[in-house]
Amino acid sequence: MTQGGIEVDLDVERFPVAGFGAAPLLVVDDLHTTFTTPRGPLRAVDGVSFSLGHNETLGIVGESGSGKTVLSRSIMSLLPRADVEQTGSVVFDGREMVGAPAKELRALWGAKIAMVFQDPMAALNPVVRIGRQITESLRLHLDLDRREATAQALSLLGQVGIASPEIRIRSYPHQLSGGMRQRVMIAIALACSPRLLLADEPTTGLDVTVQAQILDLLVEMQAERNMAVILVTHDLGVVATRADRIAVMYAGRIVEIAATERIFGDTAMPYTRALLESTPRISNASHTRLAAIDGRPPDLSVPITGCAFSERCPSATERCGIEAPPLTSARDDPTHLFACWNPLPGALRVRSASKGASS
Amino acid sequence: MSHSDDALLSVQGLEVTFKKGRHGVQAVSGVSFDVFEGETLGLVGESGCGKTTTGRSIMQLVTPTGGRVVFDGQELTGLRRKDLRRARTGMQMVFQDPISSLNPRRKVFDIVAEPLDIWGTQTGAQRTSTVRTMLDAVGLDPDAVSDRYARECSGGQCQRVSIARSLVMRPKLLICDEIVSALDVSVQAQILNLLEDLKAQYNLTVVFIAHDLAVVKNVSDRVAVMYLGRLCEVAPADDLYSSPAHPYTADLLSAALDASPISTRERIVLTGEPPSAIDPPSGCRFRTRCPSAQRACAEGAPALIEIAPRHSVACHFPLTRSGEGTRSST
Repeated sequence: MTQGGIEVDLDVERFPVAGFGAAPLLVVDDLHTTFTTPRGPLRAVDGVSFSLGHNETLGIVGESGSGKTVLSRSIMSLLPRADVEQTGSVVFDGREMVGAPAKELRALWGAKIAMVFQDPMAALNPVVRIGRQITESLRLHLDLDRREATAQALSLLGQVGIASPEIRIRSYPHQLSGGMRQRVMIAIALACSPRLLLADEPTTGLDVTVQAQILDLLVEMQAERNMAVILVTHDLGVVATRADRIAVMYAGRIVEIAATERIFGDTAMPYTRALLESTPRISNASHTRLAAIDGRPPDLSVPITGCAFSERCPSATERCGIEAPPLTSARDDPTHLFACWNPLPGALRVRSASKGASS
Repeated sequence: MSHSDDALLSVQGLEVTFKKGRHGVQAVSGVSFDVFEGETLGLVGESGCGKTTTGRSIMQLVTPTGGRVVFDGQELTGLRRKDLRRARTGMQMVFQDPISSLNPRRKVFDIVAEPLDIWGTQTGAQRTSTVRTMLDAVGLDPDAVSDRYARECSGGQCQRVSIARSLVMRPKLLICDEIVSALDVSVQAQILNLLEDLKAQYNLTVVFIAHDLAVVKNVSDRVAVMYLGRLCEVAPADDLYSSPAHPYTADLLSAALDASPISTRERIVLTGEPPSAIDPPSGCRFRTRCPSAQRACAEGAPALIEIAPRHSVACHFPLTRSGEGTRSST
């Protein structure tokens, strides 16, 4: 089975997210985010398009500098307006976010779209008790009075698995452990029952056992609350069993996006494959040689001609260095998109399915 | 674990207590292991378990409050400063943060040459050629990077420079403390492969400290699991991952995320977080989170005993595949 490429310009209207209802919750179309730096414009997000269904979990995976964090902040319109140029469109629940007035955005932040950041110690206010940090958005957006908001905060702390919430609600962030702080961050994000939760590296810096607890909590909360989640991470292991679809970013662009099983089983883009094969796995024997890719990602302040990965790509041809490949859908699956002139044939699929049929 | 004479490094009953107010933090309490020549021993555990302190006290960067560290037949604890400096040339350490472990305002060549200059072992053309060989060995082009400042290098390049600096004195033992945790996946793979190559080329013995179970398995011959200052289990890498005997090892493995959408492993998710090392639980330190804890676990600390060849575990009720319980004799 060869995955040929029929060229189709990405048109999100033509690619409704399979299985998640016809009208997507979020449609990102040709989004560009450019920073003005002393060395010239830096294209951190360089033409990203995708859509997200209600109740869907999308994993965005990339190495540092691939633009995944800037993308998540651009979706929320969280970036400062000075020195940042944003073009394209982000339509959330029928509303355009790019260029929307600050007042309109503030009504959405925390209420309809919420974010969980990587470093909970930096995201929480160190001199305010966690109770007030949770009730803040409840009182602002839901117009609850102090008693109602406190009751709601206690219930939220219980839901995110914090023991004795009535004591913890009076704690300061420094009195909590890293895992507990991240639970508090999740409680704050969930306070107003948002439709979309953006989690940017929510478990980086946490220990393995705590990481598993936090990810399970996110999945549980999503199922309960019927919300969409964007999980941004550098670790394929974080999204492998938890995302419905995965988007792989490289040099500010989405280079491949597909259902999770397809990303792992029918990898089309050589970069995705390189990422998969260079990740050490517990299931491999010790001293298994890793398939490392030479070099490192390109400097985004220098304009890139052709495919950004071509210099490191084992299957690059002359064309790759000249012409940038568009996102194209796979012949047998219109929801599997990849940007590559020489996609990998299906026969070379990653050997992750060796255990045979499974769910 | 008995001390063997052919071990390059032997750590016996190592204890490190840090003073904190009126209490002491028992970072390491009675850790013993041997590392044999040419072997890579992985030291894995969650943050705060004492793995970094163990690595540093092998180097005597932290003074142990008890126990012995014997390297290459010489006991390091209690050595005079001058003798310790000499002994340390045989053992080198590579640290976690590659950027902050190099002086940003020094040139790469000078950084790698510094150990040679300190000892005055090589000068002139010989010194230049040694440094260039070392840079080449870690995958850097000597012509391109020699005159570059450390601040101009990427994280992966800095880690290569750190490794070159540590190998320039031709040490027998290399202690790697989380050397890839700050690097991206693709760069991490490059550094891990490099470490395997250098180990073969320079006949190195490695203590590899990390929290990432997959990374540790990839490079290690044997793996030691630490929890709250004590060793739980020591076994050859493939054995430890396929049949963990300590409940903590099993839980740690089940919580680890593998980059595969098909999860074949049974999930046991630990609840809570490790207790404080200021006031650790009595008996077995893992008993407060252990699914199979019984009264005996609170009463006596289990000794590290061999349950299979080269496979030791510190547990009163270790997990066995056949189901037969093995009881500690102490």
